[in-house]
Amino acid sequence: MRQHHFALAVLAFLLIAPPALAHAIGGTDAAFVAATRGADPFPFLYLGAKHMVTGYDHLLFLVGVIFFLYRLKDVLLYVTLFSLGHSTTLLLGVIFDLGVSSHLVDMVIGLSVSYKAFENLGGFRTIGFELDNRVAVGGFGLVHGLGLATKLQALGLNPDGLIPNLVSFNIGVEIGQLIALSLILVVMTFWRTTKSFGRLAVAANALLFLAGIVLAGEQLAGYFLVGDAR
Amino acid sequence: MTDQPSTQPIAPVQLKVSGKTLALITGGGLIAGTLIVVGAIMPAEYNVDPLGLGKLSGIARLWAPDEKKIDTNTGSGPLARQYDVPLRSDIIEIPLTDFMGGAKGSELEYKVHMKEGATLIYDWQVIGAEKPNDFHYDFHGHTTPGVKGEQMTVATYKQAYGLSQQGALTAPFDGIQGWQFSNSGDKPVVVRVKLTGFYELVPAGEEGNLAGIVANVPAAQARPAVPTSPQ
Repeated sequence: MRQHHFALAVLAFLLIAPPALAHAIGGTDAAFVAATRGADPFPFLYLGAKHMVTGYDHLLFLVGVIFFLYRLKDVLLYVTLFSLGHSTTLLLGVIFDLGVSSHLVDMVIGLSVSYKAFENLGGFRTIGFELDNRVAVGGFGLVHGLGLATKLQALGLNPDGLIPNLVSFNIGVEIGQLIALSLILVVMTFWRTTKSFGRLAVAANALLFLAGIVLAGEQLAGYFLVGDAR
Repeated sequence: MTDQPSTQPIAPVQLKVSGKTLALITGGGLIAGTLIVVGAIMPAEYNVDPLGLGKLSGIARLWAPDEKKIDTNTGSGPLARQYDVPLRSDIIEIPLTDFMGGAKGSELEYKVHMKEGATLIYDWQVIGAEKPNDFHYDFHGHTTPGVKGEQMTVATYKQAYGLSQQGALTAPFDGIQGWQFSNSGDKPVVVRVKLTGFYELVPAGEEGNLAGIVANVPAAQARPAVPTSPQ
């Protein structure tokens, strides 16, 4: 029963983390970014990593993705696909100044959590709709990158040193993802060895599904009630 | 698990639940998720409360616009001004219960709408109170932002104990200006507020007159929401 409680505690933590963190470039960080001129790699590296580690919409998606990945090879494959996806849109989105509503992008990110949970539950097999997992993870990677791009764009990056800063931020995102992923992997691997995994796997994915709906709903409400003032 | 050639699609293990369970999880998730968003997140984050759950649970009180305080002791502007709005005068009699009436009866906020630069001349006194220490007022104004993201500009003019005040105010911004009155004495009182200037009254139930005070009627009829009228 101890493991049982442990698993619940982890899930509870993921669900209760303060909402402000989901969109973590704010306050003094935002002021810093807005004031930066020229290449400034390490601060941007840090910001990228921070955004990923504290962005629990990204983290919940990763939890969903590696929920049933037992082999390190598979983990690496999916994480590479995800990283390729979000690096592409992060760079292109900022460079070409693609104007997408951050609320709508974050809504899709929320839905990606629910999508993954639904798939883990065998939902797509049940309704007879099978999308190649690699395509789905890569595709959602593109959307997650667009989310990162809109956050950066909202801060009004200075064109002076844009590319190096952007690349630094992106590398930071990968480092942050690696840190977060390692932690999630350790917890998941440990949890899988316990009996509670079998009992709670369905419940965990049901909670993931719910969390995704809440994240998506919050962004949808924000889109209609606030618009894109930021 | 056997090793697969890399050309084959990788099929991670999935759970197998019955169609009924799946429907329960997704349907329940959608309903619960929507309820959380509409009932809790929207009232707390965006000041929108369609179900009234935010108000009922108190979650809606979490919403507050960012405040920006401004200096009220300095200001500059033309000494002679002209206004488009007509001059008006009102006498507002505000009945307050004794302190036993609690926050709903013994204190309230009364403000008026004013445009930036508009002037108000005021004179109010408390009738029925004996000790100045029993009566507190907070003379202040603020803008009225409606949604998250907008800042609320706040100006505090005077916070003190006392039974009367008279003077003039020039509004530093478009917004509502007025007083929070609190009676902590053991007798009900009436605050008689006389206003003259370029302002508009706030309709009952709106921010600035949530207590629903009616202007220009005797105290006994001025506060329909709280039927305990003194004297």
